[in-house]
Amino acid sequence: MGIFSGFSLIASSIPYIINGVWTTLEIALVSAIIGFVLGVILSLFKIGNIKILAWMSDFYTSIFRGTPLILQLTLVYFATPQLIGYDISAFLAAIITFGFNSGAYMSEIIRSGINAVDKGQFEAAGALGVPYWSMMKDIILPQAIKKILPAMMNEFITLTKESAIVSTIGVLDLMRRAQVVAAENSLYFPPLIVSFAIYYVLVMILTILGRLFERRMSRSD
Amino acid sequence: MIKVDHLYKSFGNNEVLSDISLEINKGDVVAIIGPSGSGKSTLLRCINLLEVPSKGKIYIDNDDITTLNQRNVIKIREKVGMVFQHFHLFPHKTAIDNLTYAPIKVKQNSKDEAHRKAIELLKRVGLSDKADSYPSRLSGGQKQRVAIARALAMDPQYLLFDEPTSALDPEMVKEVLDVMMSLAKQGMTMAVVTHEMGFAKMVADKVIFMDHGQILEVAPPNEFFSHPETDRAKEFLEKVL
Repeated sequence: MGIFSGFSLIASSIPYIINGVWTTLEIALVSAIIGFVLGVILSLFKIGNIKILAWMSDFYTSIFRGTPLILQLTLVYFATPQLIGYDISAFLAAIITFGFNSGAYMSEIIRSGINAVDKGQFEAAGALGVPYWSMMKDIILPQAIKKILPAMMNEFITLTKESAIVSTIGVLDLMRRAQVVAAENSLYFPPLIVSFAIYYVLVMILTILGRLFERRMSRSD
Repeated sequence: MIKVDHLYKSFGNNEVLSDISLEINKGDVVAIIGPSGSGKSTLLRCINLLEVPSKGKIYIDNDDITTLNQRNVIKIREKVGMVFQHFHLFPHKTAIDNLTYAPIKVKQNSKDEAHRKAIELLKRVGLSDKADSYPSRLSGGQKQRVAIARALAMDPQYLLFDEPTSALDPEMVKEVLDVMMSLAKQGMTMAVVTHEMGFAKMVADKVIFMDHGQILEVAPPNEFFSHPETDRAKEFLEKVL
């Protein structure tokens, strides 16, 4: 059987695969938001004066960076019911794992951004009597985040692609749907290449959006 | 009045300030001069606690600021404004937002009130047309004038200047010094770390000469510049004049 006749065979299933994009994006987006909020908090702990919080944040980060993501996901999904008796849904397990994992990476990115802000900015705010948290929120973080926008966009793109791992716990994302169609038709190349192409187009769109956003943010330069 | 009483400051084993005592009276302009590395900037930075002194006392209006907790440090900094060598304007805020931010945030001024005062201050430093410009669109001299206006927006009773013209192109030094001179004329109490001997001569009520972390001479400018007492001051003046 030729490649093209293979495509025509699964033609009716192509929209089904494409619709997996929403699941993929939903997981990536919700995880990114959780990751960003966690990342901000953890990074502030890391650069702060409270040793125990800094130590805990470093430990948190090392746990998530030091173990395979797929194992973290499997653990959350399969062990949660046994440990606390809560029957966690695959989707919830996915966003918790990805969100917490992304928080670890995000905290390092944000910390490097804060460290890249001129020390004079801290001094100028301090000399004006601006309290610590206001200084962080209004003066330091806006500048830090501007510096790390490319790295944060990168993190989001990685999240989008890595989210394919959720197919292993049965979430019907882009990847999983391609596998379902492949299994139903015993035909692998066409459905997989369809999801392949969609991932690629998705990442390209995100890249372009990221650049436009960056340009908008650099108005004050 | 600012009173520094037997102040010491070390970074590790490196003693940068050694037994510094001085007084700055209300309305005085004090020029602090001396070779680089003599501790001038560190002294200034101790006065608003950007550096924490190792030993000694600093009194501002009779309050010992070296024993303050975080909250009261903020109160001191409302009283004591600072102008930096490298301006340190907030790059993501326009000139006017640089001026209004701290009064709104720290002094709880209303937006309208802060805005009105900011416009007035920008006019005073000759930059009312730059209110909506971001710092990146301003020249060095303009940045420093905005930075002075930002410090003034907090209604400080004392202004500290840390080499305010050292990072400027030569043709922009005058516009900044002019602003500082008019402040001095209006009776602002100022401590100025500077390499501008002309400014020290013309504007200062008192010159403090520092070397190796110590104050070697305190004198009115005409005395200091015509009859320096120490060899170090003579040497220094020969080099810079």
